[in-house]
Amino acid sequence: MATLIIDRFDGKKHYERSYSLADEDISGKTLLNTLLLIKQTQDPTLNFTASCRCAICGACGVRINGHAVLACDTKMDELFATYGADILRVSPLANFTVISDLAVDWEPSIDNLRKIHPGLAAKSEFSPQDGCRQTQEEFDRIKKQWDCILCGCCASECNKLTADRSDYMEPFVFTHAWRAAHDSRSKDPLLHGKPAVAGGLWNCVHCQECANRCPKGISSADDIAGLRAMVMAKGMTEGEGPAHARSFYTDLVEGSGRLNEVRLALRTEGVSTLARTGMAITLLRRGKMNPLEVFGGETIEGHDALVKMIEAAHASEKE
Amino acid sequence: MQTEFAFFPGCVLTQAAKESMMALGAIAPRLGITLREIPGWSCCGASQSQDVDPLAAMVANARNLALADDMGLPVLTACSTCLLMLRRAKTEMDGGRKNHINTFLAEGNLNYKGSSEVTSLLWVLAQNADALKARVVKPLTGFKVAAFYGCHSLRPESALGFESSVNPASFETIVNALGAEIAPFAKRLDCCGFHAVYPAENSVMRMTSEIVNSAANGGARCIVTPCPLCQMQLDIYQDTAQELSGSQARVPVLHLSQLAGLALGIPAKDLGLEYNVIHAGGITDM
Repeated sequence: MATLIIDRFDGKKHYERSYSLADEDISGKTLLNTLLLIKQTQDPTLNFTASCRCAICGACGVRINGHAVLACDTKMDELFATYGADILRVSPLANFTVISDLAVDWEPSIDNLRKIHPGLAAKSEFSPQDGCRQTQEEFDRIKKQWDCILCGCCASECNKLTADRSDYMEPFVFTHAWRAAHDSRSKDPLLHGKPAVAGGLWNCVHCQECANRCPKGISSADDIAGLRAMVMAKGMTEGEGPAHARSFYTDLVEGSGRLNEVRLALRTEGVSTLARTGMAITLLRRGKMNPLEVFGGETIEGHDALVKMIEAAHASEKE
Repeated sequence: MQTEFAFFPGCVLTQAAKESMMALGAIAPRLGITLREIPGWSCCGASQSQDVDPLAAMVANARNLALADDMGLPVLTACSTCLLMLRRAKTEMDGGRKNHINTFLAEGNLNYKGSSEVTSLLWVLAQNADALKARVVKPLTGFKVAAFYGCHSLRPESALGFESSVNPASFETIVNALGAEIAPFAKRLDCCGFHAVYPAENSVMRMTSEIVNSAANGGARCIVTPCPLCQMQLDIYQDTAQELSGSQARVPVLHLSQLAGLALGIPAKDLGLEYNVIHAGGITDM
């Protein structure tokens, strides 16, 4: 015997309801099968969304014990094994507004998707008459991101969205921005990159939840990193985010080979360091950092060789 | 039990988290572990250089791993972000980029072979919990601990893979071996926000505050983390975060190595507890 505790919402109040299930009814079944079984045999009022039953449509994202999964792609036996328990909690995706039970409102997320222009804005060399072709190799570069089925699992788990969604977009939105920007047929990567920056590209907290929960193995975190590199290469270097990232890189390649935390704070915050108690000041006060490090730490053994290796890699990339 | 490692300190242990380095240096001999620092190791990129120049970051980490190869030892780090960056680089190298990247490493007469696995203090202690328990001289009986994993100890599971990222147990195994008690801690798998503390300060301070309050609500005497970056975020910024959220709770934040050191009977000063920003001196005095 197993129990599913399902978080419910009737439009006015939130409550939970427990459903007991016989082992033979759920063994070998998916979570979606189980939800359908409950709806068919125990409680026809239970609402959830689902369609294809084969991990293509992305409609059945829910949370189990607080972690997002695609219900049709998740086996009950594996859930019991993972959690070592026969009681599981099913909840709607987090970071979405709940409409009813496990069904959530996608409209605000789709509005964000529209902002990054997910469609193809083709180079002028293409035309409706002659088509808009790309080679297999060019397609292969973006095919992983094309696998996104808009299930919302990444958004549900995103720690930045949970903290504050007013200055951030869903991880999958950045994945589609990356895909559009890196499509060989796109005329202007910044058409997708600029709205990504405006939508909080630099606010990702690197929690890796998006990469971890994607049922298709897509890493929006990597796509965010890729978009950051792209927009910086195209001159969008203003702000604390780019300054912070560049500080690490500068220390690695142009500095000692290791991060200089004193200069990190100064470079990232600039003059605002004087206005508030920043990390460097706290560290210096506690005696955790050597203030002389502002002039640079000791250069690592073999740094010249490291620089040569990186230069060789860059030269090879240009060939 | 593997007792000798190619040690990758990571930048933070050499600077702002020097107490972590002190504690690690103090516990290793008690556990019969020898840490040989990788000569000339460079910054792993910290999930930041990767945003500027992913190829350069890849080359730097391939070089770090090649240096460990030459030592003929597995790599051990006590920083979770270093762990993730090094393991991802290794996965990419072993997955087909080895020959290409090796042509660049040849500029420094290095060659990546892929013989060195990459592990962490968390994993090594969990794998050897019985040996750890046998060396405990001052069990932390009745001491309630909020065990905070930190993202890059667990996620993405495809790159780390030591244990389930949604129901991990390594940290609890270690805390139990030390004789301490696990406090209820709803935020134990959350992100501290360290990597975005500058660009997304308001969000990150909220995240920090919620983690501290979650630990306090569970009755924890301290938060412990295997990651020095999480420790920095939760410790250095705790006062600011709590003032911003209007919260009274203050909870000391220890490195995993410091907690282990206390149970191994190492004096607080040798564990650098005086450098923790939220007062942690005398923490185990009942």
